[in-house]
Amino acid sequence: MIEMKNLERSYKTGPTETWVLRRIHLTIREGEFVTVMGPSGAGKSSLLNVMALLDDQWKGEFYFNGDAVHTMNRKQRAQLARQRVGMVFQSYHLLDELTVAENIDLPLSYKDIPKSERQGLVADALDRFNIVGKKDLYPNQLSGGQQQIVGIARAVIHKPALLLADEPTGNLHSAQAKEIMEMFRNLNEEGTTIVQVTHSELNAEYGSRTIELRDGWLSKDTAAVAVQGGQV
Amino acid sequence: MNQLIQDVRYALRQLRKSPGFTTTAVLTLALGIGANAAIFTLVHAVLLRNLPVVDPKALVRIGNTDDCCVNGGTPDRNDYSIFAYELYLHLKDNTPEFEQLAAMQAGGAAFTARSSKLDAMPKSLGGEFVSGNYFQTLGLQSGAGRLMLPSDDVAGSPSVAVMSYRTWQREYGLDPTIVGSTFTLNTHPVTIIGVTPPAFYGDRMTDSPPDFYMPFALEPLMGQASLLHRRNLNWVYLLGRIKPGTQLAPLQAKVSGSLRQYLATIPLYQKADEQKNLADSHVVLTPGGVGIANMQQNYSSGLSLLMAISALVLLIACANIANLVLVRGMARRAETSIRMALGAQRRRLIRQMLTESVVLSCLGGVAGLAVAYAGTRTLLSLAFPDAPNLPIQASPSPVVLGFAFGLSLLTGLVFGIAPAWVTSHSEPAEALRGSNRSTKDSSSLLQRGLVVFQAALSLVLLVGAGLLSKSLSKLEHQDFGVETENRIVMHISPENAGFKPEQLQPLYEQIEQKFHALPGVERVSLSLYTPLEGNNWGEAVAIQGRPEAGANSPVGASWLRVSPEFFDIVGHRVLRGRGITAQDTATSPGVAVVNQAFVKKFFPNGEDALGKHFGTEGVKSSSDFEIVGVVNNVKYNNVREPVRAMYFRPLLQVAKSSPDGETRSLYMSAIMLQTKGEVEGLESQSRKLLASIDSNLPVMNYTRFETQIAGQFGQERLIARLTLIFGVLALVLASVGLYGVTAYTVARRTSEIGIRMALGAARSNVVGMVLKEAMFQATLGLAIGIPVALLCVRFVKTQLYGVEGRDLGVLVLATLALAVSALIAGLIPARRAASTDPMNALRTE
Repeated sequence: MIEMKNLERSYKTGPTETWVLRRIHLTIREGEFVTVMGPSGAGKSSLLNVMALLDDQWKGEFYFNGDAVHTMNRKQRAQLARQRVGMVFQSYHLLDELTVAENIDLPLSYKDIPKSERQGLVADALDRFNIVGKKDLYPNQLSGGQQQIVGIARAVIHKPALLLADEPTGNLHSAQAKEIMEMFRNLNEEGTTIVQVTHSELNAEYGSRTIELRDGWLSKDTAAVAVQGGQV
Repeated sequence: MNQLIQDVRYALRQLRKSPGFTTTAVLTLALGIGANAAIFTLVHAVLLRNLPVVDPKALVRIGNTDDCCVNGGTPDRNDYSIFAYELYLHLKDNTPEFEQLAAMQAGGAAFTARSSKLDAMPKSLGGEFVSGNYFQTLGLQSGAGRLMLPSDDVAGSPSVAVMSYRTWQREYGLDPTIVGSTFTLNTHPVTIIGVTPPAFYGDRMTDSPPDFYMPFALEPLMGQASLLHRRNLNWVYLLGRIKPGTQLAPLQAKVSGSLRQYLATIPLYQKADEQKNLADSHVVLTPGGVGIANMQQNYSSGLSLLMAISALVLLIACANIANLVLVRGMARRAETSIRMALGAQRRRLIRQMLTESVVLSCLGGVAGLAVAYAGTRTLLSLAFPDAPNLPIQASPSPVVLGFAFGLSLLTGLVFGIAPAWVTSHSEPAEALRGSNRSTKDSSSLLQRGLVVFQAALSLVLLVGAGLLSKSLSKLEHQDFGVETENRIVMHISPENAGFKPEQLQPLYEQIEQKFHALPGVERVSLSLYTPLEGNNWGEAVAIQGRPEAGANSPVGASWLRVSPEFFDIVGHRVLRGRGITAQDTATSPGVAVVNQAFVKKFFPNGEDALGKHFGTEGVKSSSDFEIVGVVNNVKYNNVREPVRAMYFRPLLQVAKSSPDGETRSLYMSAIMLQTKGEVEGLESQSRKLLASIDSNLPVMNYTRFETQIAGQFGQERLIARLTLIFGVLALVLASVGLYGVTAYTVARRTSEIGIRMALGAARSNVVGMVLKEAMFQATLGLAIGIPVALLCVRFVKTQLYGVEGRDLGVLVLATLALAVSALIAGLIPARRAASTDPMNALRTE
């Protein structure tokens, strides 16, 4: 599903260039549940942003389902992201002035989907994540765990092929974290490819493969795929 | 006190720390306060300022209208404000309640003045005849020499005059030898006995205060057609100083009674059908502190309108600053919270914030004084062009300074109070937690409300500006019926130059011949006055064969004397019969040419006017003039009213029924020239030419005909231009306000926008979302502004000409202007929002 070849990303601050991703070679197959780990500043979130097609300042080759992302313009990348990628954030990023149902509807509202169809999809999502009773509540009326469930529902409402999660349980206590991770496992079992960034070994165990980043280099990959170009 | 000083110091420090905010706020306030102070300078000078005399509150004017300058017949509503000189003497003798009752000429007169110095050239200066007790009534002390006394106002006493201080300064450089010197005024030697005090500008606010004050006793000597003892002609105003404790109501009744007693003795009121008018004749006493309030009456509605408009602009500016202060308050919420956590009381915080606002507004006020000074100068040059003697100073007087200071304090409170309240009511615990998760706060509603308020107010101003501009355009571009291209108007005074009636014919012939001989001059005319110069002569017309018109019958017509080429120069077309010709001399049969309005008024049933006769002294005079021609209508007087009935007579023909009563009208005051294109040096050639005819015949003014006509719209142009400036200023302020609030909202919603974009929102979605909100506020402003504007139209309705109050075109244009401005103001932050990098936005969370 994802193939990265020699992908690099750096930030320029004045005369200094800071590298956050170095010569990344990575392949993620459909149906995998990949955990990205590493210390703070290792480049985990940067890698996730590249996969989410939010960042387009990198160099190298990036194929998404065989399509060459590196040849796409900004609009095409945005279109691809809209159709194929879902994101879950550590701090949920729900919009406070929208209700639970409206928050879940948000990604659909940016597509050409008739309102009646959207309402059906939202109702299904509410039902699937067991939050029908909370559909008219506002985010500040929910617990952290409930907010993250809404965040996941919102991320998968448009049935993305790839679900990216950046520290999805970082703000939750262990019971809530477990519930969320179970939810990810179910989604993965239903066929969604998942890439999560986490510091938690416990969360990593939910995944089928773990890769590790250090100073921007891909330093470890539990899959049988050999790490190329990296150094430990 | 210490706390206040500490608050002010802290406020200054805070303002210094944010130079961008401080500069923007001070500039906005300077514009708002400066505009108000500039208009107030005019309002104070024209409407509120008392005469610079002793105890102005004790002065009372007999009269309440701006009637001017020499009137016969009965006044409108039988309300007397202008009097015959002998009537003045009668009233003075019969009202001991007045400590002093002075009289002054209603319309000033131009004099040809020449000082006794060698090589002195005659100058055309303004003079006013006043009663001998004039300066005593006003309680004035001289600026040099002495002022006039009652003993100077006695027939046969030495001829004296008092010069105004400004004239002494402007024309003679305060030369002390002027006092006691002899001037030749209209060929008559007069001794300048003194100079008025420096601050004195006469008994009324006017753009051309008198240069000389002369006793009434001199009036018969100064011209060929004295008014002094004409019992039926009203030409003086009365201003008196009442004795302490005098009640005005009984005095008014007494003066009215005394008036009727006098009127009963003049022939006009002895007619049977005038008895009702006699019984109704009365005076109204009015406070005389401001003097004769003619200018006040002319300018009060326009100035009040401008004051209201500038106040609205200041309100809009206040709303803008309030928004800025709110944004700053929100940014400083953590600081406020720390203060509250450390025990500061809300009241203390509000006071600190208000001090900051007031300090800011005072800085704006100081900068506003510079704007006011420049604004007042511009206003004065727009309102009173060519008025070097205007007694209004652009530099701020103590009253204007006080007004600006008071306005600054008020402004500071107005824009400071709401933000201070909102900011001081933030929850300290919440603010101290740091970044608030919520995308809303209590200030946003107020901010949006302020933007809606600004949009609504600016629409009201734009509609007003649109209506007044359209009205001015209709006024200026109406068909006056005149030709103005290559036309020159100049004024002279043969009467002041000492010409006797019998000398006029050769004088006029000489003028016509000599001007014709100038290269480039095609046509030359002489006339009593010219169209749209503010002059009018009127008489009651009696058509031959019709019964005597009753009292109050509408038989008035305007008239003037013209030479043969006048019609061609002005643009009158002879529609029937003939014009005035060279054969219409003083000795030929009396003829008149009338305009279409005259025919319509006096021959409404299709009768042929040609060959009919009429006169102006009742039935007995009705054979005086034969109508020999009809010309098309041309506007001579009020540009807002239809053309009056008019008739035109030859220069020197007098009515055979009353030949002695027409002397004054034989003195032509206007020369008009039609040239072949632009003639270089024509003005100086004209001055030399007239001086060569008689050295006492200076050109009093020289202007293009189109400039003279444009001068008729001075007040309308001033109001329309200022309203437009204020409207545009309001629009800019409202747009800046909308931009500021939208930009601030976008900045606060960066993470939300980032989330939306991360969830798939396209740039167009974000632009649309931000614009929708901005346009919603503008639309709400329009929804409030349109009905308010329609309601407010009645305040400008009296100023409008040819424009309906509910003018759809203006309303649409104003709405479009506001909508487009709002779109631009919203588009800039919307585009910025759309370029939000979701990664960065998510990081800020």
